[in-house]
Amino acid sequence: MFNYTIRRLFLAIPTLFFISLIIFLLLDLAPSDPTANLPLTIPPEVREKIRQSLGLGEPIHIRYLLWCKQFFINEPLNIMEQWFGWDIAGDRLRVLSWQTRSPVVDLIVQRTPQTLWVVGMSYVVGVLIALPIGIISAYRQYSWFDQVGTFISMIGFSVPTFFTGVLMIVVFSVWLGWFPSIYDTTHQVTDWASFWQQIRQMVMPVAVLALFNAAQISRFMRASMLDNLNQDYVRTARAKGLGERTVVLVHVLRNSLIPVVTVIALGVPQVFGGAIITEQVFKVNGLGQLLIISIQGGDLPTVQTLTFIFAFLIVLFNLIADVLYGVLDPRIRYD
Amino acid sequence: MRLTKILLGAVAAMAMSSAAQAERGADGQVNIIYWQAPSTMNPYLSGGTKELEAASLVLEPLARYDQDGNMVPFLAEDVPTVANGGVSADLTTITWKLKEGLKWADGSAVTAADAVFTWKYCSHPEGGCAQSEKYNDVTGVEAVDDRTIKVTFGVSKPFPYGPFVGAQAPLIQAAQFANCLGAKAPECTDANFGPIGTGPFAVTDFRPNDVISLEANSNYRDPAKPAFAKVTFKGGGDAAAAGRSVLETGEFDYAWNLQLAPDVLANMQAAGKGTVVSSFGTLVERIMINMTNPDPALGDERATAKHAHPFLSDMAVRKALSMAVDRKLLVEIGYGDAGRPTCNVLPAPEIYKSSANDACLVQDIESAKKLLDDAGWVAGGDGVRAKDGKRLSILFQSSTNAVRQDFQALIKQWWSDIGVETELRNIDASVFFGGDPASPDTFQKFFADVEMYANNFDGTDPESYMANWECKQAPRPETQWQGNNMPRYCNADYDALVAEMAKTGDLNERARLAKAMNDKLMQEYIILPLVDRGRVSAHSNTLGGVVLNTWDSELWNAADWHRVKSQ
Amino acid sequence: MTEATAKPLVQVRGLKMHFPIHAGLFQRHVGDVKAVDDISLDILEGETLGLVGESGCGKSTAGRSVLRLYDITDGSIIIDGTDISSVDQDSLRGFRPRMQMIFQDPQASLNPRMTLADIIGEPLDEHERLSKGQRLGRIYELMDAVGLNREFANRYPHEFSGGQRQRIGIARALALNPKFIVCDEPIAALDVSIQAQVVNLLEDLQKQFGLTYLFISHDLSMIRHIATRVAVMYLGKIVELAPRDALYAEPKHPYTQALLSAVPEPDPAREADRKHIILTGDVPSPSNPPDGCNFCTRCPKVMDICRRIEPVFQELDPGRYAACHLFDTKNTTAEPTAGTRT
Repeated sequence: MFNYTIRRLFLAIPTLFFISLIIFLLLDLAPSDPTANLPLTIPPEVREKIRQSLGLGEPIHIRYLLWCKQFFINEPLNIMEQWFGWDIAGDRLRVLSWQTRSPVVDLIVQRTPQTLWVVGMSYVVGVLIALPIGIISAYRQYSWFDQVGTFISMIGFSVPTFFTGVLMIVVFSVWLGWFPSIYDTTHQVTDWASFWQQIRQMVMPVAVLALFNAAQISRFMRASMLDNLNQDYVRTARAKGLGERTVVLVHVLRNSLIPVVTVIALGVPQVFGGAIITEQVFKVNGLGQLLIISIQGGDLPTVQTLTFIFAFLIVLFNLIADVLYGVLDPRIRYD
Repeated sequence: MRLTKILLGAVAAMAMSSAAQAERGADGQVNIIYWQAPSTMNPYLSGGTKELEAASLVLEPLARYDQDGNMVPFLAEDVPTVANGGVSADLTTITWKLKEGLKWADGSAVTAADAVFTWKYCSHPEGGCAQSEKYNDVTGVEAVDDRTIKVTFGVSKPFPYGPFVGAQAPLIQAAQFANCLGAKAPECTDANFGPIGTGPFAVTDFRPNDVISLEANSNYRDPAKPAFAKVTFKGGGDAAAAGRSVLETGEFDYAWNLQLAPDVLANMQAAGKGTVVSSFGTLVERIMINMTNPDPALGDERATAKHAHPFLSDMAVRKALSMAVDRKLLVEIGYGDAGRPTCNVLPAPEIYKSSANDACLVQDIESAKKLLDDAGWVAGGDGVRAKDGKRLSILFQSSTNAVRQDFQALIKQWWSDIGVETELRNIDASVFFGGDPASPDTFQKFFADVEMYANNFDGTDPESYMANWECKQAPRPETQWQGNNMPRYCNADYDALVAEMAKTGDLNERARLAKAMNDKLMQEYIILPLVDRGRVSAHSNTLGGVVLNTWDSELWNAADWHRVKSQ
Repeated sequence: MTEATAKPLVQVRGLKMHFPIHAGLFQRHVGDVKAVDDISLDILEGETLGLVGESGCGKSTAGRSVLRLYDITDGSIIIDGTDISSVDQDSLRGFRPRMQMIFQDPQASLNPRMTLADIIGEPLDEHERLSKGQRLGRIYELMDAVGLNREFANRYPHEFSGGQRQRIGIARALALNPKFIVCDEPIAALDVSIQAQVVNLLEDLQKQFGLTYLFISHDLSMIRHIATRVAVMYLGKIVELAPRDALYAEPKHPYTQALLSAVPEPDPAREADRKHIILTGDVPSPSNPPDGCNFCTRCPKVMDICRRIEPVFQELDPGRYAACHLFDTKNTTAEPTAGTRT
C-alpha cells in the first residue's frame, strides 16, 4: 500500500504538469480580454498599454514557463520564508492577479476560511444528514419515510441553489428578519455573542448547500445499503442469531460505507472549489466567487492558479479515495 | 446588535480623535454595498467604476464635479479659469493652488510634488495606467512652490480639466508610491490596496473583490467630519440582493447602481426601510435616422452619402415620426425612476441643456398626420402613406434587449397610427455594437432606415461628443465603416460650430455652441432622443446627506454623510 | 436411521410463505407470490432430508422459512419441541444457536470485511461468554473440524478458494453446536472436484456431532448419495415424500418420474434404452398457479379431475406420501384440503 501510494504520487507529478499546460492553453485560446470590462470611454490605445503591462505581449510559451516558475518555485520559496522566517533573498516575482494586482496565493489564503466554514460545514452537515436518511430509507424501503426522503432528495437535487437561496433570504431575512442576508467575511469570533452571530449568518448558506449535498449522498447511501441488505452474508448474520442493530449497523453499514466514503472523499475538492452560485447569493465571497469574478474579468493568472489548485486537489483526493478503498475493503490489494 | 456596534464605533472613534474633534466619528458605522466588488483601491490600475468609487472615499482630486456637473474645488483653493488667470490665454497651461495645511492620512503634508509624482506615475509607458487618457497632451507638471501646481499642455486645451480632476484622476502620495513606477506598479500590493489619501476615510482592511473596512481619517481637513467612524464597503452579489439589503432588510445603508425593473424597485421600496434615489447624466436612448439610402440594390454605395434616403430625407416625415412617440409612456414602461423623457441628445450638464425642443415631450398623433398630409404623403388602400410611388415603410433595428424590444413594439404601433409601416429587427448586442467591418449588422453600417441605442460621453465636457455628427465622422467604406456619425448627417453650418468650439475657452461661450449644435440636430430631426437614462441607487432612511452624482463618484460627498436621528 | 422409533426433530405443518405483490400508483396489494404454499413434513433426528425440485420451485424459501429467516405467512414450525412459527425475531435469537444454515454462495454469504476468525467467532460473542483464549481455542477447534489450516484465521474470505470458503461457512454454522442445519444447495456453486469433499465433510460432521440436515439441492444424484429420505417440491408444494431407495427405485408421482428419468445413468447400455419423460411447457407462475393440481399443465398423465380438484398429500405406503389423483383409489372423493396426514 505504501509503495503504491508513493508510486501514485510520483505519477501525479507529470500528470499535474500536463494538466497545468492544458489549462493554460485552454485559457489562452478562450476569447477573453482583461480590459473588456473597462468602461467604453477608455480608448483602445490605453487598453493596449494595459495589456502590454500585464505581459500579454510575450509569446505563449514564455508566459507559460513564467507562470510555472512563479507558481512552482517562487511561491513555495515564499511560503517557506514566511513559515520558517528564512530569508532566501532574491527578487522573486509571485503570481500576480491582473484584476487586483496582488499575489494570487494571498487572495486564495484570504478566501479559504470563509469557503471552508460555509461550504465545508455544509458538506459536513450534508453528510451527517445524508447517512442516517440513506440508511433508514434503505432499511425501510418503500415506507413513507423512504418516499418522503426520496421526494426531498429529488427536490434538493433538482431545485437550483439560486432558487432555494433567494427563497430562504426572502422568507428568513425579509419577512421574518431572523438571519442576515449578506455574509460578513470580516466577522471575528471572539466571544459567545459573536459566535452566535457567526452561526446566524452561516445558517442559510449552509442549509441551502447541505440540502443539495445531502440529497446526493443520501441517494448513494441508500443504494449502497440496498445492495448489501440483499446479500447472503446479511442472511448469514441473521442466521447467526445476531441482533438487528448488529446486523444493520455492523455488517450492512460497514460494507455499504465503502463506496460512500470514497464518494465523499471525491467530493471534498468541490468544497475547496466553493459553491459559486451559493457564494454569490449570500455574498460569502469565498473561492468560488473569486473564480467566477476572475473569469468574468479575464484575470488569467488567478483562473489558472485556482483551477490548477483544484486539479491538484482532485488528483490528491482521487488518490486518497483509492487508498481509503484499499484500507476499508480487504478485497482490494494494490501491491 | 446595531446599537452596540454604533456605541463601540463611537467609542473607538473618540479614542482616536483628539478632544477638539469631538464630532468626527459620532455616528458610528455606515454600511455600503456595491454588487460589483472593487478589486483594487488604486484607480490608476483599474478603469472600472467600482474601483473608482471605492477609491474616492480615500483619494481626492484637486476638484470634483457636483451633482449638476459643476466643478467644485476639493484639494485646490479654487478652480482655475482664463478669467481668474489660472488658465493661460493661449490655453496651454493651467495652474492650481492647493488648500493650506492639507495633510495625508499619515500626517505628512500634501505638496505640489505629490501632483508631479501622480502625473509621472500615470504617464509612465510601462505602467499600463488606466487613466492615462486624463493626462493626454500633458508635456509637463511642475511644482512651482509647495502649494502651486502648473500643468503644461503640448497643444491648446480649451478644456484643461483632465489632469487631477474627478474620480478618475486623484492625487496619490509620492512617498508611498515612490518605488511603484512603471512595471513595478502591480507589485506594490500594500500601496494599491491601502493608499494613503486625503479623503474622509482611510483603509484599515482591504479584501480584494470582497469587502473594504475603513475608518475616519484623523487628519481630514474638516475636523468635524466625517460623521461616521467606520465604513464597511461590501462587494459582490447582484443588484436585486443589494437593493434588498438596503430597502427590505435594512442591513446596509447604501446600495449602488440598482439596475432593476421599475416594479421590482417599487416593491422593495414599499417595505419602508429605504429610499430610491436617481440622478441623471448624459446617457440618452435615441433613435438615429438614416439620411442615406440603405437599399441593398445599391451594392457598395448602399447607406453612403452618394444616395439620399428616399423619404427620410423629407424633414416632414422625420418630424412626424418624432411627434408620434409618447416618451412619457416609454419611460414608465422601461425605466421608471431611472429614466425621464428628453428632447435633447445633449441633456446635461445643466449649462448645456437646451430648452428649445421641449415640444416633443407631448405625443401628438393628429398633428403628425396633418403634417404628412400637408407634405403630400397620402394614405393608400392598406393605410400606408405614399408619395410618388415611395411608401413610408421603415426597417427599424436595435440590439437584443427586453426593454428595447418593448420600445420597438410600442413605436411600431404609434407609427402605424400615422400611416407609417414598420418592420422590426433586433440584433445581438455583441454583433450590433461589435464594429466588425465584415458584418452587415453593425450599428455603424446602419443597413436599415432607423436604429435605436443609447450613448453618452465621459465627464462633463461635450466637445468631442458633439463632434460626432461632423460630416467627416460618417461611417463609410473608406473608413472601414468606423465613425460616430450614424445618421450620415452632413451640414457645413454644423461643422463650423464644431470647429469653433475646438478653439473657444470660455465656458459660457462653449455652452452656447454646444446648445446650438444640439438644437440643430433636434430641429432637423436627425436624432430622435427618447429617454434620458439615469443612475439609480438606494439609501436607508436613516442615512442623511446622500447627494447622488453621476458626474463624479457617487460617494463624492461621503464626508457629509451622517446618521439621521429619531426617525 | 429411518426407523419409526426416531422422533421428529422438526415438525412443519401447513407452512405458507407468500410474498405480497404491490402495483399501481398507490402500491396496492394486488396478489401474492406463493413461494411456499402449504407444506408439511417431519425431519427425524439424525437424518438427512433431501429436498429437491427445479429452480424456482420454492425449496430455498422453504429452507429459510423453516429457520424463520422470513416472517412466515401461515403454518407451524416446531423444532426440538419449541414452536418458533409465531415468535418475534428478537426472542428467536436465543434459539438460533440450535438451528443453522449453510448457504449456496460461499462468497456472498461471508462478510467481505471480516476475517475468518471474526466470522466464526462472531456468533460466539453473541451467544456465549468466552474468554479471549477460549474463544480462539474454539475457533481453532472448528477450523480443525472443517479441515482449515489454523494459520488462515486472520485472512479475509476473498483470499480463499470456493471450497475453502464453504468450509468457513460450515465452521461458522457449527460454532454454536446446532442440532439442525439447513444446507441450502451448499455445493451448487463449487467445482465438481470439490463437491465430493464438501459432501463428505458434511457427512463426517453429521456423524461426529449428531446433526440433522435439511439438504436442499436440485442435484438428484447428490441427494441420492446423502439423503435418508427425499421430498420432491413442485411450485411451492411437496408432491412426493419417500425414503430414498424407495423413491429412486419406484417414483410414484408423475413429476418425480419425470425428474428421475432425466438423471443420466452411468452405464451407457442402460442409459441407451432408458425412457426419458420430456415435460413440455414452463412452470406456471407461483403468483398465479393453475386450478386443481399445480402440475396439471405439464403432467403427461393428466386427468379431468386434476384440473378441478387439488390432490391430497396422502400416505400411499408406510412412509411414502404423494399428492396425485392417480392414487385416489382408496377414497374416490378427494378432499380439497391438503396436508392432512394421519
